[in-house]
Amino acid sequence: MLSIRAAGPGLAPAFRRTAFIQPILRNPAALRLALSKRSIQIQSLPPSASQEISDSQRIKRPSSPHFTIYQPQLTWLGSIANRVTGSALSVLLYGFAISYLTLPVIGIPFTSADIVHLAASLPDYATYTLKALLAAPFAFHSLNGLRHLGWDAGKFLTLKGAYRSGYVVLGATAASTIALVLM
Amino acid sequence: MSSSFLFRSAVLRRPLVGSFRATVQARQATSSSYPYIPGGPILKGTVNEPTTFPPPSKTHGSHHWAFERLLSATLVPLTAAAFVTTGSQYPVFDGILGVSLIVHSHIGFDNILIDYIHPRKFSVLGPTLKWGLRALTAGALVGVYQFNTNDVGLTELISGVWHA
Amino acid sequence: MSLARSSLALNNVRTSAVRSLATSAARRQAVAQERQPIQKEFKIYRWNPDEPAKKPTLQSYTVDLNACGPMVLDALIKIKNEVDPTLTFRRSCREGICGSCAMNIDGQNTLACLCRIDRNAGKDTKIYPLPHMYIVKDLVPDLTLFYKQYKSIEPFLKNHKLPEKGEYLQSPEDRRKLDGMYECILCACCSTSCPSYWWNQDEYLGPATLMQAYRWMADSRDTYGRERKEKLQNDLSLYRCHTIFNCARTCPKGLNPAAAIAKIKLELASE
Repeated sequence: MLSIRAAGPGLAPAFRRTAFIQPILRNPAALRLALSKRSIQIQSLPPSASQEISDSQRIKRPSSPHFTIYQPQLTWLGSIANRVTGSALSVLLYGFAISYLTLPVIGIPFTSADIVHLAASLPDYATYTLKALLAAPFAFHSLNGLRHLGWDAGKFLTLKGAYRSGYVVLGATAASTIALVLM
Repeated sequence: MSSSFLFRSAVLRRPLVGSFRATVQARQATSSSYPYIPGGPILKGTVNEPTTFPPPSKTHGSHHWAFERLLSATLVPLTAAAFVTTGSQYPVFDGILGVSLIVHSHIGFDNILIDYIHPRKFSVLGPTLKWGLRALTAGALVGVYQFNTNDVGLTELISGVWHA
Repeated sequence: MSLARSSLALNNVRTSAVRSLATSAARRQAVAQERQPIQKEFKIYRWNPDEPAKKPTLQSYTVDLNACGPMVLDALIKIKNEVDPTLTFRRSCREGICGSCAMNIDGQNTLACLCRIDRNAGKDTKIYPLPHMYIVKDLVPDLTLFYKQYKSIEPFLKNHKLPEKGEYLQSPEDRRKLDGMYECILCACCSTSCPSYWWNQDEYLGPATLMQAYRWMADSRDTYGRERKEKLQNDLSLYRCHTIFNCARTCPKGLNPAAAIAKIKLELASE
């Protein structure tokens, strides 16, 4: 009684409500009725079942989109460009070396003289285009390679350093591509 | 001596069998009916177990990395030298450049395969491409060697094409 | 002089009194008359695990920026409170220290609570969950693997010997070596911005975990550096890093995981 009084008049309605529920709690039949109306079902599972449940949820999950929605940035575009240019030049090198081995076997002449002769027979615009297509990836991959060697040696490893060196590489690539084409 | 050993093992057997059963049960508890696929949504082990590491190997780790950088760094003076000399003047130089470029290319291609088509994810395509790349690299090495010994060599070819 | 100051103080008291007298409703009206509403469109990634067959979609919401707080998290909370209570995202501290609200906003991984809304109403803002992660619901990615990887590097002090007395001591210089690393809140922005982590996250540890690995290698009180380094001696755990720098570019705390990883590589090579 003392504690109720201490709780104050604000709690009185709550106490009245519990007093109303009391008869239901005392009557088992009424209790069962009230519980079945709420239709709560309890399923007993061992702790080991949690893995199965979470895996059954995991298996349905979609993977969120990545490079298609990621903002184009100098960082990763420069990196993928390094890989693409390097691969293009390497494919050319492998293609040339393996062609030198195999083409003569099937009767197609493939010597340095043939290649130089073919290059000389091209019109001017094709020569310049092809030179630019070779010089630009070579210049970029070489200069960006130097940038990577700098990073691996612990130089300009800041975000500012990464961006500054990135723009320097782009500028130097443009300049050396022009120089190489005119060489 | 042997009898005491037997006795001890008999005493020890009980907890050992018990612990074995416990680990089997634990393993059964962690393995669900969903198989683990590398990179898939199902994870190895429970959420409280840390991920594991492959067995340590410096050949695949720091030595590989250091070799890669050393090779890239040596390509810098080799390429610079190729601009001022010609292959017929310094055939050894030209040979080293050709081999270095191919090994550098091989490491680059290999990195691409590890990044995108690793055998743990692509059980057929992964190993096929890995060995295919090795065969191509061997072919390219032979081709460059043949070209440098029987023809004009790489640097002279490039300068010839460039000024054709 | 003192008279002037006191009259100024009196003036301040008077204006604040006037302000406090005005009702909040009247003030809101005044603001509404002053400012035109800025209707900004937010396009938000939605996926509901209760309908797993439905493909993830972008759902569009329009928010008046003049009736909303300045940060993207404010807009998300406003949408959840007033428009669509089913929109699901993680948030807690709203001040960039808990790392819960990491997501991809306009193509960049960042914390929604630290990201200002672009007030250009002509351009919509696209909000995706962290890239290349399995999605629990809407903007909530499953970070279990990320935490399992963090656990694998044993992110705690390990020393072969007990301290002689009290605790392990460290000079201020040695302590300073941990600056720029200990501040990491493990929001996973950097790891999920890393293309290498996208393709190989089941084996590659990713920038956040690797920087924490280095945080313990660089700690003068830790004597397990050799064992910590040996774990990384394989082609996948560490060496999938190609120094792309997306991690340092995106870190909402301004940290530099790329530099920490480069230092690990140098230390491993010089061993």
